[in-house]
Amino acid sequence: MKSWSRRIASPTHAALAALAALALQGAPAAAQGLAPGDYKVGFITENTGALASAGQSYWNGAQLAAEEVKATKYLGGASIVLEAKESGSDAARAIQNTNQFVADPSVLAVSCCILSPVAGSVKPIVNEAKTPLVIFGATAAGLPQPPYVYSMTILPGPKDTATAVKVVDAIKPKTAAYILAADNDAFKGRMNATREVLEGKGVATAGVVNVLTKDTDFTAAATQAMGLKPDVILVYATQGAAAGAITALHDRGYAKTIVGNDVLSPAPIFKKMGDTVVGVPFPVSFSDAIVETPEAKAFVAAYQKKFNAPPDIYSAQGYQVVWFIAQGMKSLSGKPTREALGAALAKVGTIEHQVYGGEVMKGGQAETTGTLVVSWSPEGKIVPWVAPK
Amino acid sequence: MQLFLEQLINGCALGSLYALFGLGFGIVFATLGILNAAHGSYASWAAIAALAAVEQLKLPFIPALLIGVLAGGLLAVVVDQVAFQPLRRRGTGMLGALITSIAFWIILDSLAGTATGQQSLSFPRGSYPGAMFHLGEIPLPAMQVITIGVMLGVTAGLHLLIRRSRFGAAMRAVGWNQTAASLGGVNPRYVVIVTAFIAGATSGLAGVLGGITTHNVSFLLGEGLLLKGFAAVVVGGYDDVRGTAVAGVGLGVLEVMSAQYLSSGLRDGITYALLLGFLLLRPRGLFGSLGFSRA
Repeated sequence: MKSWSRRIASPTHAALAALAALALQGAPAAAQGLAPGDYKVGFITENTGALASAGQSYWNGAQLAAEEVKATKYLGGASIVLEAKESGSDAARAIQNTNQFVADPSVLAVSCCILSPVAGSVKPIVNEAKTPLVIFGATAAGLPQPPYVYSMTILPGPKDTATAVKVVDAIKPKTAAYILAADNDAFKGRMNATREVLEGKGVATAGVVNVLTKDTDFTAAATQAMGLKPDVILVYATQGAAAGAITALHDRGYAKTIVGNDVLSPAPIFKKMGDTVVGVPFPVSFSDAIVETPEAKAFVAAYQKKFNAPPDIYSAQGYQVVWFIAQGMKSLSGKPTREALGAALAKVGTIEHQVYGGEVMKGGQAETTGTLVVSWSPEGKIVPWVAPK
Repeated sequence: MQLFLEQLINGCALGSLYALFGLGFGIVFATLGILNAAHGSYASWAAIAALAAVEQLKLPFIPALLIGVLAGGLLAVVVDQVAFQPLRRRGTGMLGALITSIAFWIILDSLAGTATGQQSLSFPRGSYPGAMFHLGEIPLPAMQVITIGVMLGVTAGLHLLIRRSRFGAAMRAVGWNQTAASLGGVNPRYVVIVTAFIAGATSGLAGVLGGITTHNVSFLLGEGLLLKGFAAVVVGGYDDVRGTAVAGVGLGVLEVMSAQYLSSGLRDGITYALLLGFLLLRPRGLFGSLGFSRA
């Protein structure tokens, strides 16, 4: 014992001992990879309430990804198991769900939130508990905060502006009116950014017509917008309000160009609105009708088979949440902790398995390359938008 | 001026929906003594039934509308007999009925959410009159004309029924005192059932027409009408359907004009300020009689 102590006391032997200790700590684990077993991810669903249509899509996409991670043995003998708790897009219920997930030591990470205020109310809880949170739908700036808060939401703002510019370049309007969900700060920011760019291109603002997210009757708002006599009307509102406003404009005989936003992309919108949405340009990062990569094609086919419906952008974002968490887990060894997973997710630069044709993480925020400007065809397919002649 | 007139018509059409809904709501309160929070659910279910008639049975507009109205009326009778009749028999007050109606509101809305897959659906274009008339330069969609016309017709019909018919006298007698009414030869149970049906049917009418014009058939449809319909009843007066009609249309016009000329954010604030003002300063409403005790 004395002799051993003397040996490690010498600098050379101390260095060797340290290397050996590092090797002992790292080598066997690297050889083993992630310890086999099920790893729980708490998923706060929004399958009821006003946003249930989108909520169901996120949840479907996430379930499909979890099954694929297991089936393809992406994590070897390990798999991701989603544990769902319903919030109905209600902040109080989301907070309660998060607290329950955080209190459960078997939950490795949490995913949640379509609405930014709800995500904002959950964020301090996960930061305090050092638990990774991956947001699937909320868009407010400043939500991502590595190493514990990440967002797989494809931010629509830059894509809105790109779409508006493409439309303006094609139809050369002199004036534009905006229909805005005034009680939604995210849409207000998106509209202002686009408005600034369009005014810079010489398109005067005829006026802004405010509606509220909970509104159901848009006849008066459509009348007000048409009364401004604009060459183009751009709609910045949530799904129900945007659908209602566009339908009301068409019902009242507005025949000029209307520009929508990404909320028009899910299939139920065409089913609900029918021909009123045909030809209305809007941006998408993902469309089941315009897929090129093998991953995207496989995703569309598997989703269609499992849910008997085509995936939409929300399904894609839910899908990417699970693949992002899986990628972080893959870089870990043994039984990962929440802190280790958070650190691993912070190191993810490029998403390996994605359906957009290119996705990177910047400061905890997912970003895709390129913007598809599309519209619904009379047959109910999403097709590249073509300017009216 | 043209914009003002267009918005005036929009306000009248929107207010006609509030008025139609408020008519049934007010009749139930005046006759049965129930502040029925589940009344909005009848509108949601009527719209769902009419939509199903269009999509599943491929029925045209008028038969689908009648199915929706019938569904609203029958649902109101079932809820009344299951939820309120036992309370009536035990002589519980308004509070018990209100709490029970809230429970049925939650149940019926949850079921409506399940029936629609938690989504907002809409009537297919072509399944309802979509023509656009023109009054000079002013566009007049067919559904707005129908909504305003139906509201005027139903109001006149209900007014005549309540004020000029034997059944109306029986309704008023039951509303005043059920025991005295039965001593006078009125069958209160029969009056209650028919009144519940009329109330549910008018709510259903508002639901179907509202579902078509707003392109929103969901469990939230009735909720939107409930508060505005209640405001129309309070402002118009509980015991006079003409007051409810005038107040409903007034609220619709006020809502549209305040969004056009002030701010959309103030719309609901103005409506509820008006409601509060009437409750404080003229609780019997515009047309309500002085002797009406429930206000």
